Amino acid sequence: MIGLLNSDYMKIRPDFKVIKDPYSDNDYVVVPPIVPDVAVIHAFVGSRSGAVVTDSFRNDRLLATAAKKTIAVVEELVDEDDVVAGKFGVYVSAVHVDAVVLAPHGAHPTSCRDKYGPDVAHLSEYLEASKTDEAFGAYLDRYITGPKDHEEYLQVVGRGGVK
Amino acid sequence: MSDREIHPFERMIVTISRLVNDGEVAATGTLSPIPAAGILLAKNTHAKNLQVMIYGDPKLRITDGLHEFFGLAHRGLLDLFFLSGIQIDRQGNLNLSAIGDYERPKLRLPGGAGSNMLSMMAKRIILFTLTHDTRLFVPQVDFVNATAKDETIPWRRGVLSHIVTPMAQMKYDADKGVIVLDATFPGYSTEDISNSTGFDLGVAGRDIPEVDPVTEEELSTLRGAVLSELRQIYPLFCDMIWGT
Repeated sequence: MIGLLNSDYMKIRPDFKVIKDPYSDNDYVVVPPIVPDVAVIHAFVGSRSGAVVTDSFRNDRLLATAAKKTIAVVEELVDEDDVVAGKFGVYVSAVHVDAVVLAPHGAHPTSCRDKYGPDVAHLSEYLEASKTDEAFGAYLDRYITGPKDHEEYLQVVGRGGVK
Repeated sequence: MSDREIHPFERMIVTISRLVNDGEVAATGTLSPIPAAGILLAKNTHAKNLQVMIYGDPKLRITDGLHEFFGLAHRGLLDLFFLSGIQIDRQGNLNLSAIGDYERPKLRLPGGAGSNMLSMMAKRIILFTLTHDTRLFVPQVDFVNATAKDETIPWRRGVLSHIVTPMAQMKYDADKGVIVLDATFPGYSTEDISNSTGFDLGVAGRDIPEVDPVTEEELSTLRGAVLSELRQIYPLFCDMIWGT
């Protein structure tokens, strides 16, 4: 890793080690790779093969290539030939994706570029609810464990903020 | 807000824009509307040759998220980057991780993300803060995510340049290795600013100027061309400061 030397990360992370670069003789910090068991990424489109197109401002391809298993939530299922990176898209090969879940508005309450904006009212509600265990329990009941499926979730949230 | 009334964040934006040098490559990361506006204002006024890279700007087409910005910094292609934090101390150390003991914090934050690497690999860092008080400017940070300068690291490029707050412009004195007051903002005396800072700002025996007034050109450019660009990137921030 470039960086980290002389930071307090070196005090709290005994797994971060300093080694000498054999080419420059400089000291650098090395860190163990992060290998998630599962990565869940959100994509504009995907096909049954597992190929998807994600947002170029995000690091979803990096996640998909690092994780043992990757689940891609897609706004739209399309034919294989239509999985093409558009203006803000990044193509992620089916090689890196284990499952594709069709869930329109699946990024709610956050945004999906050029499809819908963030649901600011819902995010504020979430933030408020997160302040106490009781309020957060009620939030989970209402929005997460209550609705029987994604369609019902979207009805409960009223698709507020979805443009 | 009346036409001539200047919002504290507008003064910060103007101050940041004046600290930008023409010809630099300046980039901003997540949650950075004030520096984003600052570099856009510089580009639209005195720094026509500034290269502006605002993460999240729909005009900026990138291929690989923040990861790609980090790569640019590694390669020495970023001249100026902007960071903020929950604590900043006299030596210019920055804390973005936790308040109190790291294992049993009073407040746990998302963490330093790329701040450490960017502070080392961008050539110049400007810190911006949304408040100015003794909780933020402390004698010693509880956790060091990023330092201002390290002479012991030969590959380090970056040095802390300035700190811009709603009360003042401060600078990092690289020779002494400390932050000092550079200029006051209208409405705040040197004493006000010192009282709001948890460490010595090196004002004894120095004459600290007030920043030059915001010019008509700066204000009209900010509220015109810059605002219309900024709305594409930070719509909620723009609504909050300038209305819808």
